[in-house]
Amino acid sequence: MAVLPLAALFLVVQVFLLDLPRKDIRNILMGSLLAAAGLFLFLLGVHIGFMPFGQAIGEALGTLSYKWLLLPAGVALGFITTWSEPAVRILADQVDEASNGSIPRLMVLTAICVGVSVWTGLGLLRIGYEIPLLYLLVPGYLAVIVIMWFSDKDFVAIAVDAGGVATGPLANTFLLALALGTASSIGGQNPIVNGLGFVALIALAPITSLMVLGLLVRWKESRMEI
Amino acid sequence: MWPELKERIAETLKTVVPLIALACLFQITLVHAPLEVFLQFLAGSVLVIVGMLLLFIGVDLGILPMGRFIGAELPRKGSIALIVGVAFVLGFATTVAEPDVLVLATQVDRISGGEIKGSLVLYVTALGVGFFVALAMARVLFGVSMRLLLTISFAAVLLLSFAAPPDFIPLAYDAGSVTTGVLTAPVVIALAVGITSVLAGRSSVADGFGLLGFASIGPILAILLMGIWLR
Repeated sequence: MAVLPLAALFLVVQVFLLDLPRKDIRNILMGSLLAAAGLFLFLLGVHIGFMPFGQAIGEALGTLSYKWLLLPAGVALGFITTWSEPAVRILADQVDEASNGSIPRLMVLTAICVGVSVWTGLGLLRIGYEIPLLYLLVPGYLAVIVIMWFSDKDFVAIAVDAGGVATGPLANTFLLALALGTASSIGGQNPIVNGLGFVALIALAPITSLMVLGLLVRWKESRMEI
Repeated sequence: MWPELKERIAETLKTVVPLIALACLFQITLVHAPLEVFLQFLAGSVLVIVGMLLLFIGVDLGILPMGRFIGAELPRKGSIALIVGVAFVLGFATTVAEPDVLVLATQVDRISGGEIKGSLVLYVTALGVGFFVALAMARVLFGVSMRLLLTISFAAVLLLSFAAPPDFIPLAYDAGSVTTGVLTAPVVIALAVGITSVLAGRSSVADGFGLLGFASIGPILAILLMGIWLR
């Protein structure tokens, strides 16, 4: 539904500022329509298929006798889910293009996936041991504030955007349902309170991993200069 | 047309199949969900694959060029005020239209016991997004350090987290994710990259990216402030 204001804004700008040939306008409007239809089908599939199954996985994970197993399960699920997140792909492609290939798409994609995988693992562990959300979020944000001053400028910018795209439709439904499922089968305190805020960790995840990557890139460059 | 389409199908499959395979593995080893749920998952997977294929084609054909055209043309024809204004409208309008934001609004309505109206949450969130997109755009135009702006924003988020009532905190952080929809993201990215590509002395990566992430700080602050205001 977000396509409507976008198309409207485009048409306003087109009338007042741009003077694009008809062919371009037709392509843009058709492309937007295709994308909206595709997104509709995608979300439909996610809601009827991925969300209930994500909850089933979560409930099964919550009943595991060894709680530490939540960590490897979260790591695997976080990585693979982000690998499938459509907006993450689009960001990685755009970075590759804007940097003329000096920051390759696979590097961005992998860094985002690794970040989310680590934090999903920690997030599930947090639910298992009922640790308050802020115990993870506050150190995470503090670390980001410090690291960014030492990290490469390009990577800081990409990192911030990566936090936005990683929380796409799959994270918001599949991973969230998984977390809520885990929280509900573990019992204990209010499952909603325990399970909520999971998405916040996913938003923070790629920010940390990409900024650390920027740190490594900068370190390597300075070593090469010497 | 056909070889290109074939390549796209292969790309889409490479994107989704690992997730489906992992889910199947979980089903066999650990989950043993009822057959009904599992079949529904497989049916959903087919829809997801077809939908993603159309989405990727549409984004390349329409959504990315839309952002790129607007972004490349704005600095040439418009003033700074106009660019920042368009950024605000883009953030505001796409947030109001995002279905996830409505879900969020009803949640706040419930937690506050009806004291904070859903429609208020909707507009405050959208204002938060619009303001931060405009701020991030102004940062690029005036050449303010992104690290500085980020540090201030994150510090504000942290400080408010300690002041806000506890039940608002998870909600606020989750709100940050609802604004970055799959269609909004490519437009904003392409628009920002387009604008920086025509401005002199701007790095296409360090200045072209980051707008989207700033957009998600807006609603976090907005919801936290609403929580503090309520108590």
